[in-house]
Amino acid sequence: MSSISRSLGHVSPAGKVIIPLLVVVFVVAPILTVLVGAVIGPWLLDLLGSNLGIVRFLVAITGVLLFSIPAAFIIIYMELKVIAYMNLRVGPNRVGPAGAAHSVVAGLKVLSKEDFSPANADRFVFTWAPVLVFLTAVMTFLVIPFGPGYVDPATGERVGGLVGQDFNIGLLYLFAVGGMTVVGLLLAGWSSFNKYSLLGGLRSAAQMVSYEIPLTLSVVGLILLAGTMSLTEIAHQQEGWFTSWFVFRQPLGALIFFIAATAEANRTPFDLTEADSEIVAGFATEYSGMRFGFLFFAEYVNVFIVSALMVTLFFGSWNAPVNVNDILNQLHIAPITVDLDPGSLGVGLLLLVMAVPVALTLLFGLPFYLTRSRMPAWQAVVIGFVLFNVVAMGIAFLLAYIGLVWLAGVIWFFIKSFMFVFVFVWMRGTFPRVRIDHLMGFAWKWLLPAALLNLFLTATAIVVVKVLHP
Amino acid sequence: MSVIPGMGLVRGMGLTLRRFFQPKATIMWPEQHADVAPKFRGRLQLLYDEYGTLKCETCFQCAQACPIECIDMGGVDTKGRFHVHWGPAETYGERREESALRRSGRPVADTAYERFAGIDVAPLDAILEAHDFDPGRMLRILEETQAEYGYLPVAALKHISRVTGAWYAQIYGTATSYRHLRFEPPAVEAPAAGTAQVAAEAGFRSALEASLGYGGRAG
Repeated sequence: MSSISRSLGHVSPAGKVIIPLLVVVFVVAPILTVLVGAVIGPWLLDLLGSNLGIVRFLVAITGVLLFSIPAAFIIIYMELKVIAYMNLRVGPNRVGPAGAAHSVVAGLKVLSKEDFSPANADRFVFTWAPVLVFLTAVMTFLVIPFGPGYVDPATGERVGGLVGQDFNIGLLYLFAVGGMTVVGLLLAGWSSFNKYSLLGGLRSAAQMVSYEIPLTLSVVGLILLAGTMSLTEIAHQQEGWFTSWFVFRQPLGALIFFIAATAEANRTPFDLTEADSEIVAGFATEYSGMRFGFLFFAEYVNVFIVSALMVTLFFGSWNAPVNVNDILNQLHIAPITVDLDPGSLGVGLLLLVMAVPVALTLLFGLPFYLTRSRMPAWQAVVIGFVLFNVVAMGIAFLLAYIGLVWLAGVIWFFIKSFMFVFVFVWMRGTFPRVRIDHLMGFAWKWLLPAALLNLFLTATAIVVVKVLHP
Repeated sequence: MSVIPGMGLVRGMGLTLRRFFQPKATIMWPEQHADVAPKFRGRLQLLYDEYGTLKCETCFQCAQACPIECIDMGGVDTKGRFHVHWGPAETYGERREESALRRSGRPVADTAYERFAGIDVAPLDAILEAHDFDPGRMLRILEETQAEYGYLPVAALKHISRVTGAWYAQIYGTATSYRHLRFEPPAVEAPAAGTAQVAAEAGFRSALEASLGYGGRAG
C-alpha cells in the first residue's frame, strides 16, 4: 500500500484524478458489467417490473430534484437581470454570456462556505430544518402536470402524462405539503438559539398560516366547478380555446389565489418573513453556507411552483390559448398530423442523410456567392451551413411540436409559468413592502371574506344552472 | 386615493415596465469611462447659496470620511462663540498657533493658510484691464499675474473669476494644465542652469567611467 501511495506522490495533480479513474474504468467497470449483466440484472429487472409504482415515484422525485435546481438558478438570474433592467441598470454581465452563469457561480460560492452553526444551537434541528423547507418545495412538484399524456387508441383512455403522480386529491396534497413549509421555517427560527431568529420564524408562521386560509378557500369554487381535485383532470377540463380557462369562470378566485400565493411564496409586497432591506433576515439570520442556500433555493422553487399552480389552475395548464384544430375545421382543412416513418425509405434514407445537408448548404450559400462578388467561396459555404442549420432546426422543432403532444404541452406550460415568474419579479421591482399589521388585516378582513363570497357565488351559480338545465 | 382602487399599483407596474425597455444608464467600467471634462481637477470648494450664506452645514462628514485626514474644518457657531474643528489640533489654524506658542515660545507662520490670504488686487486689475477682462485670453492673464505676484494666489484666481465671469473651475483647470504656472512661491531660488550642475555631472561621469575601466579609452 505504501508503494502505491509513494508512486502516486510523484504523479501530477491531474494524474492523481485520472489514474484512479482509469483503474475504475478498466478494472472495476468490466467486473461490474459482467456481474450486473449475468446475475443482478435479470433479478433487478424483475424486481423493478413488479414494483412499477415505486419505480415511477423514485424516477419522478429524482427528476423533480434535478429539475428544481436549474429552475431556481434560472429564476434567480431572471430576478437579478429583470430588476436591474427596471432600475435602468445592466445587472450581472461578467460570468457567462450576458452574466447567465452568475447565479450558478453564486451557488458554487455558497457551497464553498464554512458549515457553521451557532453555539448552543439545536444542531439536529438546525441541520434538518432547511432540508425540510426545501423538500416541501420539491415535493409539491410531484403532482404538478407538466404535459399531457396520449390517448390510447385501443381503449380510449388517457395514458401517461408528464406528472410525477396523478393523485385524485392532488390539490389537497399540494396544500398539505405546502403547509409543512411553516413547520420548517419555525424549526429553523427556533433551533438557531437567537431570539431574532425565533421572532422571525414566528412572524413568517403567522403570515403563512393567515394566507393559507384564503389561498385554500379561493380554489374551493374551482373545485366545485371542476368536480375533481386531480390537477391533471383540471388541466384537461381547460382544453380548447383560451375561453375555457378557469380564470374566466373564477376571476375573483384567481385574483385571491394570486395575492395569497404571493404571500405564501414570501414575495414582495408580502415578503415580511425575510425583509432583507429593513430588518434582520428573520428565521434565516443564523444560517450560512449551503444551509442558507437551501432556504434560498426553496424560496425560488416556491416562486416557480406558485406560478405553475396559477397556470395549472386558472390559465389553462399546458393548453395553447388557440385551438388550431378548431380553426382548421372552420376552414375545412384536415388537421395536420405528422407521421414520419424514415425506415420505409430504405437505402434512400442513407442517401438523404448524406446528400441533403451538402445540397442545402450549397443551395443556401449560392445566392450570397453570386450576389457578392467580393465574398470568397468559403464564406458563402459557412453562411449556407449556418442557414441550413437554422432552417433544419426550425423544421425539426415544428415537426416535433405538431407530432409530439406532450412537447407542445411542456412548451406552453413553461412559457406561461415563466410569464408568471416574470410578473412576480416585476412586482418585486415595483411595489414597496406592506406593513405587518396591514398584511394581517388584509388577509383576514379582505381576502378571507372575498374568498367566502367567491365560494358562495360559485355555489349559487351552480345550483341555479342545475335548476335551469336539469 | 385614485378613483379606481388599485389604480396606483397598475400605474406603478406600467412605470417599471417602461423602464424595463428604456436605455440603460450603466457605464461599463473599466471598458468605458465616464465622460468627464478633460480639465476637471476636482478641487474641493465650499459653495454659497443665493443669499450669500455658506451651504456647508458643518456636519463634519467630509472631514470624518477623508481617509488621509487632508480635510480639516474650522467654523464659528451661530452665536460667533466657538471655533469648532475636526482632526488633530495641530493641523488646525488657530490651535496650531497656540501650540506653537506653547512649545517654542514664538508664533509659527501657517503656510497652508498663506495662499488663501487676501492680496492687493490693484496690479491684477491693471492686468485685467489691459486684457479687456476677456476670459478668452486667460493664459496671458495668468502668466502676467504670475509675473506680478511671483505665483498664482488663490485670491487672485477668485478675483479673476469674479471680474471676468469665467468659472473658477475653468481658471483653475487652465492654471493646473500648464507646467510653468504655479500656486505657491518657489521654495528655493533654482540655481542658474549651467555652471554648477554641469560641473557636478562631469565629476560624476569621470568617476563612473574610471570605475568601469573606460577612463583610458575615453581619454
